[in-house]
Amino acid sequence: MDPGTLGLLMQGLTHVTPQSVVMMAVAMVLLYLGIAKGYEPLLLLPIGAGCLLANLPLSPLIAEDGMLRVLYDMGIKNELFPLLIFIGIGALTDFGPLLENPRLVLLGAAGQFGIFLTLLLALLLGFSRPEAASIGIIGAIDGPTSIYVSGLLAPHLLGPITVAAYSYMSLVPIILPPIMKLLTTQAERRIRMPYSQRVISRRTRILFPIVVTVVVGTLVPFATPLIGMLMLGNLMKESGAVERLTKASAQEIANTVTLFLGLAIGSTMVGSEFLKPSTLAILVLGIVAFAVDGIAGVLFAKLLNRLSGGKVNPLIGAAGISAFPMAARVVQRVAQEEDFENFLLMHAMGANAAGQVASVVAGGVLLALMGAG
Amino acid sequence: MRRYTLGIAGREFVIDVQEIDADRFEVAVGDQRYEVTLAGDEDLPDATITPALAQPQGSPALSRSAASPARTRPTPAASGAPAAATSRPATGGGGSSLNAPMPGVILELYVKAGDTVARGQQIAVLDAMKMHNFIGAPRAGTIAEVCVAAGQAVGHGDAIVRFAES
Repeated sequence: MDPGTLGLLMQGLTHVTPQSVVMMAVAMVLLYLGIAKGYEPLLLLPIGAGCLLANLPLSPLIAEDGMLRVLYDMGIKNELFPLLIFIGIGALTDFGPLLENPRLVLLGAAGQFGIFLTLLLALLLGFSRPEAASIGIIGAIDGPTSIYVSGLLAPHLLGPITVAAYSYMSLVPIILPPIMKLLTTQAERRIRMPYSQRVISRRTRILFPIVVTVVVGTLVPFATPLIGMLMLGNLMKESGAVERLTKASAQEIANTVTLFLGLAIGSTMVGSEFLKPSTLAILVLGIVAFAVDGIAGVLFAKLLNRLSGGKVNPLIGAAGISAFPMAARVVQRVAQEEDFENFLLMHAMGANAAGQVASVVAGGVLLALMGAG
Repeated sequence: MRRYTLGIAGREFVIDVQEIDADRFEVAVGDQRYEVTLAGDEDLPDATITPALAQPQGSPALSRSAASPARTRPTPAASGAPAAATSRPATGGGGSSLNAPMPGVILELYVKAGDTVARGQQIAVLDAMKMHNFIGAPRAGTIAEVCVAAGQAVGHGDAIVRFAES
């Protein structure tokens, strides 16, 4: 056997690079977090697998017409996948608690503050404007929004941004409570907010997604794709007219797309692109964005509490960050730790749903600011 | 083995239920035999099944329903038939009550009529917005009546348990 043939047979081994070995280790960490720790396994497992498969030597999967490349071109490059997922999120979101208490919209807006502060921090650290905006959007604490915005503005940072967004989202129950406790007094945490049962008519529930789409779409055209799909899902759910489509969007389509999305995102995490100091900076900035969102939400709720004469429990501000419905559950848990007879869940869900909409609007505002298309 | 004698539309059926497993039963209707699996067992709203038969049947130990071995939670039927059979008093009667703080579904009940509870002791689990919420006793006292069954949907302000006057 001549050395040439041997070289061809052994080319897998000879193409192993230190970078690809490190990235395979990163893939293992993601798989471990997803499988053993249960951190957003639906995303981290496909992302980890995509990362592993893309970093194997000479991986045909990311060569031209390779499966992972095809998935990337099919749904990430043109933003199709995050939008399809948004239909499913809309079909699962209940805006009832928000409609019952519309002033909670303010908390959703406050919960996006971290986006803009992080953007400024990233600019100071020397990231370009589109890059900084993409990093800031981690503060939307909403996976598909982060993917959508960074996919348009800075596709080369998609991997680290997505990983940061989803990892931190799974850490909501760990990151939020200390912030909430630090910024509130025990007396504030004990403020009771009785559940006010207002019956929301079916007509209101059906009109809500249509009106929001038209208003937001007109004010922030860049947010139209996101808000349009979110509200389409919600319209299907609330109308009750297309139960099969609602179910398919919330389950089959969302599940299929989640697999494709995770694999394609993982495949962008290739050694030379991922192993940079900027990745570390993104991970740090991401958690800053996250914390600032929570702080701004709680502080703003404290302000509302002052203005309302002590009727708003500041804890519900923390639910304004998005991360639906996890953040609202965390709020309820922290409130009940102080006073087992206090039920903030419905108010927190309202703020949380508002945060979801506000995240999308903030994404659109960022895109508009950057003049992207 | 437990025998049910049912009159359905004028015809009489004799049904023998033999428990094989917690969720598997052999059921004989007349001379037909079926193997039956129990997939679910829940009390629907306003369902208090307590047959009041004229003649006493069997020893007290056998007076539990044949399906009850599959249950893990205490049910009204298991905790004393007379209490469960009483009709629900109108709101406002009797002592104070613990009401549902928000709409949801009662998943678990940890008390029965006659129990003495301390303040903060867990009474129930309320599933609201897909979150399992701890429902604790607002005061110490004796439970006079459990107004809901596990699996039952409750609206805001519906009574979960009533306390005895103390």
